[in-house]
Amino acid sequence: MKDKKRERKRKVSRREFLKAGVAGLGMAAMGGLTEKAFGAPAKIKGTKLTILQGTYFIAPGQDLYKKQAQEWGEANGVQMSADFLNWPDLQPKIAAAIQGGGVDIVELWPGWNYLYQKNLVDLTDMALEFGKRGGGFEKYVLNSASVKGRYLGIPHGYSNGSMNYRISWLKEAGCPNAEDGNKVDLTWDEYHAIAKKCKAAGHPFGQALGHSTGDPPGFCYPYMWAHGAMELSKDGKSIQFNKPEFVDGMRKFIEAWKDGYDTTGTSWDDSNNNRAFLSEQISCTFNGSSIYFAAKKDKPELAKDIHHMLIPKGPAGRFYWLESRTFAILKNSKNIAGAKEFLKWWFQDKQFGDWWRLQEGYMLQPVVKYYTDPTWFKDPKMSPFREQPKYGLNQGYAGPPNEKAALAWSKYIVIDTFAKAVQSGDAKASIEWGADQLKRIYGV
Amino acid sequence: MRRAVANGATALFLVSKVIGSETVKPRGGRSLRRLLDRESSLGIILMLPGALLLMVFMAYPFFLGIWLSLTDSVIGTMGDFIGFRNFVDLLGDSIFHQTARNTLIYAMVTVPFKAMLGLGLAMILSNRMPFSNPIRAAVMMPWIVPTALSTLGWFMILDPVFSPISWLLKSLGVIKQNINFLGNPNLAISSVCLVNIWRGVPFFGITILAGLQAVPHELHEAAAIDGANAWHRFLHITIPTIRGVVLIAGLLSIIWTFADFQLIYILTKGGPANTTHIFGTYAYQIGLSATDIGQGAAIALYMFPILSVFAVLLLIYLRRD
Repeated sequence: MKDKKRERKRKVSRREFLKAGVAGLGMAAMGGLTEKAFGAPAKIKGTKLTILQGTYFIAPGQDLYKKQAQEWGEANGVQMSADFLNWPDLQPKIAAAIQGGGVDIVELWPGWNYLYQKNLVDLTDMALEFGKRGGGFEKYVLNSASVKGRYLGIPHGYSNGSMNYRISWLKEAGCPNAEDGNKVDLTWDEYHAIAKKCKAAGHPFGQALGHSTGDPPGFCYPYMWAHGAMELSKDGKSIQFNKPEFVDGMRKFIEAWKDGYDTTGTSWDDSNNNRAFLSEQISCTFNGSSIYFAAKKDKPELAKDIHHMLIPKGPAGRFYWLESRTFAILKNSKNIAGAKEFLKWWFQDKQFGDWWRLQEGYMLQPVVKYYTDPTWFKDPKMSPFREQPKYGLNQGYAGPPNEKAALAWSKYIVIDTFAKAVQSGDAKASIEWGADQLKRIYGV
Repeated sequence: MRRAVANGATALFLVSKVIGSETVKPRGGRSLRRLLDRESSLGIILMLPGALLLMVFMAYPFFLGIWLSLTDSVIGTMGDFIGFRNFVDLLGDSIFHQTARNTLIYAMVTVPFKAMLGLGLAMILSNRMPFSNPIRAAVMMPWIVPTALSTLGWFMILDPVFSPISWLLKSLGVIKQNINFLGNPNLAISSVCLVNIWRGVPFFGITILAGLQAVPHELHEAAAIDGANAWHRFLHITIPTIRGVVLIAGLLSIIWTFADFQLIYILTKGGPANTTHIFGTYAYQIGLSATDIGQGAAIALYMFPILSVFAVLLLIYLRRD
């Protein structure tokens, strides 16, 4: 009897096992299907998604993004459209989309999450999940990507930027360890002393100080911070721009500009220094690794003589202007569900990791997991950028990167302070002008 | 084919008979005909589509702009009414002062040059010469080519690193380092004025040329017989005849130059250190980049009273003539 019972039990359990097996197979099949369809719900089928973002300096990264979007769209029955705009055109297009609609996902640059906060979908849960999965966000992301604790976009990092230099010319000028940028550790005074020697040898340094959004602020904000000045005090009650240390630092910069830099830099934008460097007219400039990548592709001999070093340090330390870009969803989107599904999928390790690695360090890691990624060790000339996130500060520092910081940024107050200084030769008057403008903007 | 045309003509005739027939036509049709017959009402009817387009694309944005300038609106959020605070705030903004100064320089320096060079160009083109029509068409090129495109060409010519002008002068040993066309404050404003003049001369040239065609040849002949030399004929016959055309072209040019945007935006974006900002570029910077659309609208509207004066002058002149 017992045996029969056991037998029945066994049979039942076999049946159950079979049932479970069939169900399991079904689930597995479904799972496979789900995997193929990237887990998106059926309700988004037949919808459209339009994505706006800045154009890539690393073209394969852009191609991959398009391919990924296309694949996801095909698998989920969503018609995808991804537009890549010139950097200065991105913000006006986003502003128009906020007013007029027609766009679902936008790439936000630093400070824009504050500017458009009322028009963005809260993605805090998704952003935190991405951060947690990556071992936590880098400090610069924590400083900049959330608005009063809410993530209105998912951070995907920022393009790198540091000193690009010619090994041979800086070596001739006596730069210590010039052959290995990872070991170059200069102060601003040392940097300018080398600039003067290089210019005397016919290879000036180059620096963009025009109305442009990348390299001019990338240079001017860190120089200001390194000399003890900042836009706003931590308590937000006073402007900390007109500081004696900064005036002193600016005097040194004016002198170095004349004796060490290509003085036409006052009208340079983000591309002028790339062209000047690649045509071998300048020996060092603040830029992303796009110069090096372009040289590797078209001028391999020149690429061998290029290296990168960390931005020099000043009396107050070493700093980078660094804030994260985010992918955000506009509230007026007609397909918020689809946009969320796409971002959820794209920020998975596979998609994001492929996209990030393909750019070989051009995009800085938003999460700490990628700090130890093998990508950083493939080419030692890219390794200095790996350290960049450690020194990142935001526009408006020591205040938050809010609307007022964005206004000061849009009016190029800090950059114009430098441009005025080198044009007039009067460091004090230029900094006083900048401080007055900041007082008007911050209202303190 | 001929038959088809004949049939069509017959049909039209019949239709017109029917329309014209008192017995078939109801009373409403009669009043419509009267409305169409009267020149004043026909004018209004013909003008309606254009007026509607103007209302939608000009008047609505204009009044919206006025409203925005009186609010603290930012992109994506309609703000509250704040009266004239945006306008008052701008009066204390040194960048705005510089912008107003730049705009005045930009408009007032370029227009006289454009008028003078345009007059010279028209005088040359009015002479009989071979291939005069292709030459006249070619001269119009700077005016016809989209501003953004031609300005990009100038952007390359004035490039701080690769300017062909700097290269040539350096090769000739005239200069030792590149000319900082767009980075030196004085050179930058001069350069943008130069490009504007280059672009605007053909407009003056062709407009004045049309005016020159209207000068009766007999007048010149009679004056020559009376002993007037070329200079006197130019001063006392040509100038009085084309004065109206020059004035209209000048007023239009001032209005367009005041409201310019593309040229400056492409060449300098208002830099270096705001020395080339004009109302249009500063309004764009504040309204769109900084998203303070209320203040951006106020900057743009500061142009309005100045432009209105010129527009009224233009209208008065046109009515008088």
